[in-house]
Amino acid sequence: MSDEHPMHRIIRLKRYEQPPEGYFDDFLREFHRRQRADLLNPSLGTLILERIQAVLSEIRVPAMAYAGAAAVAVVASVVILRQPGVSVAQPAFREVSYTQRPITIENLQPVSFKVEPRFDSLYSVPTPPPAAGNDSPRSF
Amino acid sequence: MTADPENQPNNDPELVARTQGGDPSAFDELVVRYSPRLYGLIYHMTSNHEDTHDLLQDVFSKAYRSVSNFRGKSSFYTWLHSIAVNMTINFLKKRNRRSHPSLNDPDSNIENDPDYIAATSNGDPTREVSMHELQNKLNAAMQKLSEDHRLVVTMFDIQGIHHSEIAKILRISEGTVRSRLFYAHRQLQNSLHEFKKK
Repeated sequence: MSDEHPMHRIIRLKRYEQPPEGYFDDFLREFHRRQRADLLNPSLGTLILERIQAVLSEIRVPAMAYAGAAAVAVVASVVILRQPGVSVAQPAFREVSYTQRPITIENLQPVSFKVEPRFDSLYSVPTPPPAAGNDSPRSF
Repeated sequence: MTADPENQPNNDPELVARTQGGDPSAFDELVVRYSPRLYGLIYHMTSNHEDTHDLLQDVFSKAYRSVSNFRGKSSFYTWLHSIAVNMTINFLKKRNRRSHPSLNDPDSNIENDPDYIAATSNGDPTREVSMHELQNKLNAAMQKLSEDHRLVVTMFDIQGIHHSEIAKILRISEGTVRSRLFYAHRQLQNSLHEFKKK
């Protein structure tokens, strides 16, 4: 154990080395004096730090936050799109010729579903033989 | 003087809370409570009274400025000692190595300490060592140690801080504390072999 080491007893004698009597009574007064001196004559570092804090406190944080978030989003998008292997599918375009005559329906005849009698021969449907005693032709 | 924080009536959290609330008198109480211990820690590292005084003032100034950031994850005792250790190490790195030691006189109680009597006579009445000779030899032996080793010797041997508390202050494992103590004691033994008790 280190407690029992012979050097422990010898070195422990150094605890008798004490500052002059009354030193610690004066120490607190000296501490207060230095604190007042620091307030009256702040160091350059303290002045710079206080100035930075003052500037930061004046910045509108929400506006900066929005701007920062937008900037980050833009940068992130650019980075992602520039990565190798990432390609954006282009839509396939079909050539369109504007020399083709437009199709109009103005000159088309209206479609009639009425079947004229003269076309009966074309659209005739084989009919069963007329029943006996019924000579009138069938028409659609 | 033991530095065991567990042996103290510990109202540090209350004093810290009052300081954080803007009551400087609460911090004064902390200064009064901890200045003797921190003085010892810094003094035995620097071996110079004037350096210790200035450094100790700086330690409490820094602690006062930073106390608003103290969240109580460790004890105030550990937190304050960590500040003192870091500032002392930084100071020693910058300090001119030719700086002369400025040692405090041992108080009169040392003459009644059996370890002092044993060390100065060493069982041989014809070979008596004066108090100042002993002090100078102890100091020289301490200054030969590396800063890491001197720290653990100061905290454990001189200030009586437990291994576990030293480990927290230095943010190292207890095993490392014990290992450093072992090697530091061995080195001290080589420097102070004439005082080794038989």
